[in-house]
Amino acid sequence: MRARVVKAIGSAWWLVLTRLGLSRHRWQTLPRLTRRTVKAVVWVAIGLALVGLFGVWKTSALAVAAVVLVLVVPPYGKVTVRGRRVGKGILPVMVLALAVTYPFYGVISSMPQLPIFGPIPQMSTMVGMAVFTMMALGLNFVVGYAGLLDLGYVAFYAMGSYMAGWFASDQFAKQHLVLGAVGIVPGDNAGFHFSIWLVLLMAGIATAIIGVIIGLPTLRLRGDYLAIVTLGFGEIMPQIARNGDNLFGFNLTNGTGGITPIDGPGFGNWAHHNLGLPANYLSLGENADRAFFWTALVLVLLTVFASSRLRDSRLGRAWVAIREDEVAAAAMGVPLMRTKTWAYATGAFFGGVAGAYYASYNGGAFPDEFFFNISVFILCMVILGGMGNIWGVIFGACFLEYLDREGLANIGAWLNGHFGPGGSDFQIWHKTLDVPLYEFGIFGAILVIVMLFRPEGLIPSSRRAAEFREGVHDEPLYDVEHDERLYTPEPT
Amino acid sequence: MADTGGGVCLPRCSSTATMATHAQTEAPIRLRRSPVTYVMPVLATGLIALLLVWLAVNFYKGPAYFVTISFIGLTNGAVYALVALGYTLVYGILELINFAHGDVFMLGGMFSATMVLSVFHLKANASTGALVAAIVGSLFVAMGACGLLNATIERIAYRPLRGAPRLAPLITAIGMSFILEDIAIGWKGPSYTAVPNVLPRGQVFSISGVVLTWEKLIVIMITVPVLVALIWLVQYTRQGKAMRATAQDRDAAAMMGIDVNRTISFTFVIAGGLAGAGGLVYALYFGQIRYDTGFSLGLIAFTAAVLGGIGNLPGAVLGALCIGFIQAFNEGLLWHAPGSNWTESIVFTILILILVFRPEGLLGERTPEGA
Amino acid sequence: MTSDGLLQTLGLRKEFGGLVAVDDVTFTVPEGAIVSLIGPNGAGKTTFFNMLTGVYKPTAGRVVFAGEDLTGKPPHAFTQRGIGRTFQNIRLFKNMTALENVLVGMHVRLKGNLFEAILRTPRVKREEAAARARARELLEFSGLRRKDEEIGRNMSYGDQRRLEVARALATQPKLLLLDEPTAGMNPQETLEFTDFVGRLRTERGLTVLLIEHDMRVVMGVSDRVTVLDYGEKIAEGTPQEIQKNERVIEAYLGTAAVSS
Repeated sequence: MRARVVKAIGSAWWLVLTRLGLSRHRWQTLPRLTRRTVKAVVWVAIGLALVGLFGVWKTSALAVAAVVLVLVVPPYGKVTVRGRRVGKGILPVMVLALAVTYPFYGVISSMPQLPIFGPIPQMSTMVGMAVFTMMALGLNFVVGYAGLLDLGYVAFYAMGSYMAGWFASDQFAKQHLVLGAVGIVPGDNAGFHFSIWLVLLMAGIATAIIGVIIGLPTLRLRGDYLAIVTLGFGEIMPQIARNGDNLFGFNLTNGTGGITPIDGPGFGNWAHHNLGLPANYLSLGENADRAFFWTALVLVLLTVFASSRLRDSRLGRAWVAIREDEVAAAAMGVPLMRTKTWAYATGAFFGGVAGAYYASYNGGAFPDEFFFNISVFILCMVILGGMGNIWGVIFGACFLEYLDREGLANIGAWLNGHFGPGGSDFQIWHKTLDVPLYEFGIFGAILVIVMLFRPEGLIPSSRRAAEFREGVHDEPLYDVEHDERLYTPEPT
Repeated sequence: MADTGGGVCLPRCSSTATMATHAQTEAPIRLRRSPVTYVMPVLATGLIALLLVWLAVNFYKGPAYFVTISFIGLTNGAVYALVALGYTLVYGILELINFAHGDVFMLGGMFSATMVLSVFHLKANASTGALVAAIVGSLFVAMGACGLLNATIERIAYRPLRGAPRLAPLITAIGMSFILEDIAIGWKGPSYTAVPNVLPRGQVFSISGVVLTWEKLIVIMITVPVLVALIWLVQYTRQGKAMRATAQDRDAAAMMGIDVNRTISFTFVIAGGLAGAGGLVYALYFGQIRYDTGFSLGLIAFTAAVLGGIGNLPGAVLGALCIGFIQAFNEGLLWHAPGSNWTESIVFTILILILVFRPEGLLGERTPEGA
Repeated sequence: MTSDGLLQTLGLRKEFGGLVAVDDVTFTVPEGAIVSLIGPNGAGKTTFFNMLTGVYKPTAGRVVFAGEDLTGKPPHAFTQRGIGRTFQNIRLFKNMTALENVLVGMHVRLKGNLFEAILRTPRVKREEAAARARARELLEFSGLRRKDEEIGRNMSYGDQRRLEVARALATQPKLLLLDEPTAGMNPQETLEFTDFVGRLRTERGLTVLLIEHDMRVVMGVSDRVTVLDYGEKIAEGTPQEIQKNERVIEAYLGTAAVSS
């Protein structure tokens, strides 16, 4: 049905254009670059008009439009330098440059404001976006590459946060060991205080180990059972965190209050004096968010790097094979349990690192942050953006985290301002509509709509799109799972 | 060289014996049994033994109190049974975990609360007649509305994905669950909706310290007829037979002239109805309900269904009773009980252990076999 | 080891609930032989194959390969020891290219792990390049030259069957199990395939066990034939002997036996 609607819209569109003198045939004979330029210019013009009419116009909008055109129009893929195709890397580098320079946008001249969504995100939101991008990319290994539905990713986030809580605060005040920490909150001198960089690595490894432990008994279950069991772990961990102030007398997690404060990252005095790097992020005052943001970008880059390398490797192929036909993959020699566990452990690693970093940024590990909806939140990022596609996941993560932090509130303000009590247009409802309250219903609706109409996501990997259209051989290796206890050898 | 000789063997080739003994005279072939086969019996026996010891000590320390707590467990179990049956019915026929089921239950509770408060205007000391009328009326409304809701969810979120990879409808189920929760937030707000204490709380009897109060008995009195009606429906009606046939083998059922789509919709209606009944009972018995009540209770009920054997109706009831007792003992007993802070973890641990070590549950699962 | 044959099953049995699919089959495949397994539909041949590759766990009995008891091990262990297979209803990775399909087959013979993959060490780069070269060679051997980048779904039926064989060969098997490889092929293709099976032995040193319905292939290429009916082994011998066996004729061949 969807195809028919699209076709109908297309025919109507061309009917109008032909009347105006541009026939479809003439259009299609134009060179591809021209067509792309025209399309881009038209869309950008529409965008500018919307901003001008419904948003807040600033002259910088023209600069933004120019940048968009530069990103979209030229065919970078074809660029070769001394015979080697470097074109693939140009666009990512440009996007990276834009991201790195983001903190300066608000300074040079004010940025325009989009209609409905309002101003560009604040720095703290940008840090959150980067952290959740990392987590979504981590989940992408499990859901996107290996095709395992993981509903308990929040457990890895929590584990990472608490690792930071244990080794970069005064939680274990009876011990006192300082290993290179620079961001110790003043007055907070007992306990483990490892350098945050070390803590990040430890958190990743510890979470990966937890991932392997969780995975050992559960990864051989079939898809829906695996989902529920991961959900179970995703509920158990936070409950342990909440009740963890009295585990047989031992205070592991400091209970519902969480572990706070947690040290900040930094490079120490030597690096500060000789390389100009900040000694201690927390001492940067207003610019602290910037430092956190750039560091988070580096972490995201590392995750993207690992993702793309693994996707095109022997292990990545094995993951695709398992997704397509588990039985055939096993028959071709792919060890199912081991391969799935690698996906799970890798996802766990990045979740742990992200969790630890975010805990350091927030200055604490709080059990309130860890609940089931967060797992679904991250899952929604992967599914909306495009399962298995790195760009798609990045987009999904940034967009949804933005919505969570600022976007929904801005939309709410706009809606209430126009249609609510005392609104500037006609009044539809009488009580102020609290849009962020319905956040998870909105994300749920996104999940349903995406699954029904475009399950491969907004920016899909072509392989995944094909899998959803054409179907895969979905049976698990059923007999092996269930017959394990039925085998009793007869003595011959 | 061919060792079975050049001749043709008659049935049951006699050279089997030769070959077998031949193999035996070589180095004995060692068999490797997966360690899982040893872990489970040992672990299970150990855990059950510990559990029994703990229960015995608690019983010894206060037998009347123990029995009173058991009544609580029975009542909880009844509520869980109503919800677990819905999960198991749907899983049995579609092999789908209807994630939104717990939230349908929650909306059933909300419908019931609205009925009791706004339609029947029931107060705390209502007469028996008014109470019965209100309960029966609300039961019909809640069951009907939830049945319809469940069938609608199936129609829009699951049916279009019947041919898709199996995880796709599970994801839409999660999405629907969130949508339903927000509908509840929009309707009743994010805080608890209170239901007035309309059930009589007096004692039915009090025998040497063992107390049974009326509201527990009423819960049983509502639940049992519903269960009986369900058994009658599944065992003795044509639609029930169609349900059982479709659950066993969808293609064969279709070939026998059963309208599979209608049967599946019907199953969802029944499951929804059960959830609605559960919602009514919950609202009256516990007195308060919130948008996220369905989530945790739904997962507990799902664990109960798995514990009893997914797809297995008596299993769901048995599993629900077990979980009900476990929860009551955990939260009520006084000697070394982990307490209500740990109920969810305990239930999830049970779920994980069952799925890992005995996925067919206590009474065996009944799902469509793979193609 | 060799006197017992490369593959040996002892009293192999598979029950599904009340149904006995394979009933105490004891069976040997000598090294270097080409053996055909025939029988009417539903005789349990594919179930037997599934037990020979670890996809099903036997209810009773043993599978011994090259002297080692593999019973109860997971499928990838069978592949790792040297048993490769194709499937009766083609189970390619349909959304992957032909080359990728074959590369998956090589998974068990390659050594690159996760860390090397991320760092793209020289060793992994060399291994991948060598693997690709070997994959192309296998595709060519299987008659799929220049079809590397074709998506599995888009290939013709005959090509898909050839790709399945190429993929199975990528696992470097000592024993190759082919499940109805010529189903749906026309006489010309069948003839070519029969020839191909012979070449598998002479050029690649493989032992081959085929499930087949087409008697031309069976008679044309097998050293020995084993017959299953209702899960039981009812006859075993050379193709000529089987052709004349009354029990077999009664169960399966009928009067339209193709003369070879």
